[in-house]
Amino acid sequence: MTDAIDVRVLGVRYNLRLTRKNTVRESFRNLARRRQGPGHFWALRDVSFRVPPGESLAVIGPNGAGKSTLLQVLAGILQPDEGAIQVNGRISSLLTLGAGFDAELSGRDNILLAGAFMGIPHGDMMARMPGIIEFADLGQFIDAPIKTYSSGMNARLGFSIATAVEPDVLLLDEVLGTGDATFRAKSQARVVELMKAARAIVLVTHDMSWAREFCNHAILLEGGNVVAAGEPDAVVRVHEERSEVRRAGGQPDRLPPIADSGLEPVAVTQGAAALTR
Amino acid sequence: MTQTNEAIRDAYRPVRPGFLQTLRDTAGEISTRRRLILYLVRADLKKRGADTVLGNVWWILDPLLTMLVYVLLISIILKTEIDAYPLFVFCAILPWKWFSSSVADAVTCITTRERIIKQVNFPKVVLPMAAATGGVASFTFGLIPLLAMLVLLYRDHVSVWVLALPAVALVQFVFTLAVALLAAAITVFYRDVGNVANHVLRIWFYLSPALYGAEQVADLTKSQPAIGTLYHLNPFATLFESYRDLIYVGQAPDWTALGLVLLASLALLVVAVLIFRRLEPAFAKVI
Repeated sequence: MTDAIDVRVLGVRYNLRLTRKNTVRESFRNLARRRQGPGHFWALRDVSFRVPPGESLAVIGPNGAGKSTLLQVLAGILQPDEGAIQVNGRISSLLTLGAGFDAELSGRDNILLAGAFMGIPHGDMMARMPGIIEFADLGQFIDAPIKTYSSGMNARLGFSIATAVEPDVLLLDEVLGTGDATFRAKSQARVVELMKAARAIVLVTHDMSWAREFCNHAILLEGGNVVAAGEPDAVVRVHEERSEVRRAGGQPDRLPPIADSGLEPVAVTQGAAALTR
Repeated sequence: MTQTNEAIRDAYRPVRPGFLQTLRDTAGEISTRRRLILYLVRADLKKRGADTVLGNVWWILDPLLTMLVYVLLISIILKTEIDAYPLFVFCAILPWKWFSSSVADAVTCITTRERIIKQVNFPKVVLPMAAATGGVASFTFGLIPLLAMLVLLYRDHVSVWVLALPAVALVQFVFTLAVALLAAAITVFYRDVGNVANHVLRIWFYLSPALYGAEQVADLTKSQPAIGTLYHLNPFATLFESYRDLIYVGQAPDWTALGLVLLASLALLVVAVLIFRRLEPAFAKVI
């Protein structure tokens, strides 16, 4: 059976000279201990893992470990500079809350625009429109320009669109807390529903209870490398011990990178061609 | 350990698609995402009309008012001997509005969509494509006052050649798209392009036969071969003269010159697509 996600010796490199924003540059500088050559920084290196169908992977790690970069690569937003990844099936990332909104357009137009950005066929989007509108619970506002919305309404519409299409592979960056208490409960129930329906899940979270409860594998990212992999309980324990040292102001011992996360040995017999997306 | 890692890395080294594959991929992306391009163009048009009392009437008024400025300046103050100057200058203002607004949109189209580029995977080529296409709409609306002027004021200039306008517009579209792709991709890495673009566009307009015709500069281009060559290398020299042939003079355009501009524009478009595709993976990292 083919894996839902297959990642091999993945490397993503940032060119620091081209990154213009000072804030971004600073955040990289903190991480740039493993910098290779002048002006380059590997956000991810030698990351390998597989997620078989029906399984869910928790990605944990300190800030700036490369967790979000990993999700961006899996979503196809970033291209690997090294290695290969393969994702089988329709991917949906709940990274997309309200990202494509155009303030001048109505809620209805924005639903269609967001669907077009995500590459969802027009017919599908039209069919899902009533469900999206109902879930977002915007009433008459659905035909008003987005700029008249409150931030809560904006988030609700974004969430409804992002979760409208059941994906085969679900990428989650943090468990979402949007809107008021009622909507938060409703949206969490929806996330759990999607997680149950998805063939595979990658969940990036700082909430260890979600990692334990919903995932059957976990990897710990530090400095762009996988440094621990296995059962969520064990990996979470390693992470928490190391976080404890950091909180106390210390620097935990550097763990050796694990090139293969141990889900299954990586066979090098296949060429890169078989793995390109 | 590191040696085996290096071997594994080599086994999965990403391969870049070839030259023809890149062109084919881009064409495929544009055709599968044509609805997205349509939405983007429509959103842009809606925005331009929104919040103004006259709304879409501005699309018609805008080129007319620009024409008025040049008529005042050149026809009334400088007393040019060009006959029917309003129509003469309008033939150049209309296509230029399309080109300059498309390039101005293209310059910002990637950088202003930072959030969605970092969060959704979609072919970025749709953004400059939408910028180049958006100008077509304003060009089309501008044809309304043009035809009105022809029928009401300059009936003796009307000829069947007006019907050949789409052929010249097609050549312009290819050229505009190529410039839009280049402008969009390069601005991501050098934001300075945005500042320079306005000035380059303005100089380009004045150096093209928009306010004057080829006849007015004939002495200069003949006596100074270097200037003459440069003048004819400007695609807008041919494009403006072609538009003018069809609308103002009522004769066939110089098909050979137009064909050469088309060929050069197609070549530029291929280069632009290749450069854009080469830089595209870095957009999400750099913006």
